[in-house]
Amino acid sequence: MDFDDTPDEAAWRAEVRSFLEKHHPSGERPRDDPDAARAWQATLYEAGFVGVAWPQQAGGRGGTPMQQAIVDQEMARLGLPALINLIGIGMCGPTVIMHGSDDQKQRYLTRLLRADDLWCQLFSEPEAGSDLAGLRTRAVRDADGGWRITGQKVWTTLAHLADFGILLTRTDPDVPKHRGLTMFVVDMKAPGVTVRPLRQMNGDAHFNEVFFDDVRIPDAERLGEPGEGWTVALTTLMSERLSLGGGGTAVGPKPEVVARHVAEHIGALTADRQVLARQQLGRGFVAALGARYTGYRQLSKLSRGEFPGPEASAGKLSGTQSARDLTDLAVRVLGDDAPIGGGPWQTAQAVMPGMAIAGGSDQVLRNIIGERVLGLPAEPRADKGVTFKETLA
Amino acid sequence: MNFDLDQEHLDLAAAAGEFLAGSASPAAARAALDDGAAARPGRAELVKSGYATITVPESAGGGGGSVLQLAVVAEQAGRVLTGPSLVSFARAAVLLDGDADRLAGLADGSLAVAVVDDSGPVLDAIGADTFLALRDGALVCGPGTVTAREPIDATRGLGDVELGQTVVLARDAGERWQRAERVGRTVLAAEGLGAAAYLLEMGVAYAKQRHAFGRAIGSYQAVKHLLVDVYVAVEQLRSLVWWAAWAADRAPGELPLAAAAAKAAAATTLEQAAETVIQVHGGIGFTWEHDAHLYWRRAKVDRFLLGDDVAAFDEVARLAMREATR
Repeated sequence: MDFDDTPDEAAWRAEVRSFLEKHHPSGERPRDDPDAARAWQATLYEAGFVGVAWPQQAGGRGGTPMQQAIVDQEMARLGLPALINLIGIGMCGPTVIMHGSDDQKQRYLTRLLRADDLWCQLFSEPEAGSDLAGLRTRAVRDADGGWRITGQKVWTTLAHLADFGILLTRTDPDVPKHRGLTMFVVDMKAPGVTVRPLRQMNGDAHFNEVFFDDVRIPDAERLGEPGEGWTVALTTLMSERLSLGGGGTAVGPKPEVVARHVAEHIGALTADRQVLARQQLGRGFVAALGARYTGYRQLSKLSRGEFPGPEASAGKLSGTQSARDLTDLAVRVLGDDAPIGGGPWQTAQAVMPGMAIAGGSDQVLRNIIGERVLGLPAEPRADKGVTFKETLA
Repeated sequence: MNFDLDQEHLDLAAAAGEFLAGSASPAAARAALDDGAAARPGRAELVKSGYATITVPESAGGGGGSVLQLAVVAEQAGRVLTGPSLVSFARAAVLLDGDADRLAGLADGSLAVAVVDDSGPVLDAIGADTFLALRDGALVCGPGTVTAREPIDATRGLGDVELGQTVVLARDAGERWQRAERVGRTVLAAEGLGAAAYLLEMGVAYAKQRHAFGRAIGSYQAVKHLLVDVYVAVEQLRSLVWWAAWAADRAPGELPLAAAAAKAAAATTLEQAAETVIQVHGGIGFTWEHDAHLYWRRAKVDRFLLGDDVAAFDEVARLAMREATR
């Protein structure tokens, strides 16, 4: 066990750091301007800092997960925002790498890493959130071997900017629900695709509703075999929880940033409030550190070529909880000003209830850990062995 | 970076686990409560095994090993409620650094040491003949009179200590005292980790086996989620313990925060695990015969040792704020 960089890692860190310090855009956060954000990601890609751990055939660098983590750490150190195509890199790309045809990999992956194309993930539906396999968007074969898609998706991050999406559909309602699903790559500019932004409780509109009205998808855009969509989707979901939980750093403000903010405001509180604030900071900080170092353990596993299993869900669960506690504290230490002067901290706090739902709700993640890590028996289910059509009755 | 135990650590854990499970047990902890039997395996056997003195230099007859190695062993000790605590040996090894004779006494078992804190009962006071304390900034050493009272957990050897005639071992020993306390907190957290991990296994096994309303109780989300919350807390504690132990060996600048975080997490996690496992067991869980209360006792005592969890969280907050505004 050793936290220090190996000589190779130290050299890599120095290379990354010197590049970022020279090139990172000053002033406005590039995320706020999609074109600038794309250009910044392309610059980073050309320098070899995007898709570091992806295979070279997939347009990546063929490096190690640790090298990728070092890039992420150095970006965070400079306060640089996340890349714009994070869903593409973290979820869609790995799914194409694992289940796509050579032709699909050729056409999509390098452009995705360069942010030439932005990607989104079209899974959730109004009546299929946590019970994802209950989705209803239909894909039906047409006369010339392609597919026709009709239905609605929701909570689709980045759909309003995306060029492509991975789309989970139902192709066979006459088998149990997990078995009749098929995954596609869909062109978001295709005729019949309509995107409507949804405004969240924090005022932002990152999510969208997406409507498919008889949208045609060629069979060459299928990901995996017909009826095997659930297996393909699991690849995406594992990648998602890994990138959301990843080191406990991906969700919410960094605990060090909250600590600085508390330090700046705690002096104005009464003595008893100061005690409470320190207890809350201590608890939130310990939880955040625990999540961070648990993430490092997963990273070490990845580096040995092991793919983290369902235990990766724990990082998302605990990372969300500590982020929620810490943002709450950040607002609370503003004292009497909090209700009318909470500013960006209040906005950050308003993201947290959504974080506890996105990518698997706290309760669903607990079920996954309980059943797949601890081996506890599953809750009896009414839909087991029943065709999807019958579940609708 | 590789934040994972090496094969050498895993081998050590397996060997220590086998020795400790053969020489200490919850049954022994119950006997200690029932009729005042001594905690197992006891000082002599623990010293003879070599595990207790891993961090004592080889030149003094110890193992010359790392705090991380001791933490790996301490986790195994926590699983079976071993007494006396490896915390006492760990702190003594730091405090007696450079004192070849006394270190040799610690390593060969001729010196039975306990460390006296400023407040609260003394861990492993029962059976100790030599006491270390901080008096006016100086590290002092000497015999003492021990008064046992009504211990919640008989494996901790708790007692009040009245120091006898002491000698000064080192003046201006404040820094050394603090390091010993932080190494001690790390090892205490490792023992707590082992106890909490064992409790979780106990709770999960029962939840699979016990049926109510026609199905295993572990299939109910109400029960499942309780146990998952313990699992998540245990895994986070494991990460914090390894970090603190690594810091003790390799990054002294990180030790204050890491040791306070591990101590705080251990206090709350072990308590959460103990309360949860009794709840999952229902009536049987709070009987004298069941092992759950023996771990629950550990939890209720350990949270007060080396400062309580409230103090540890406060220290984490102060250190975090200081670091963030530097």
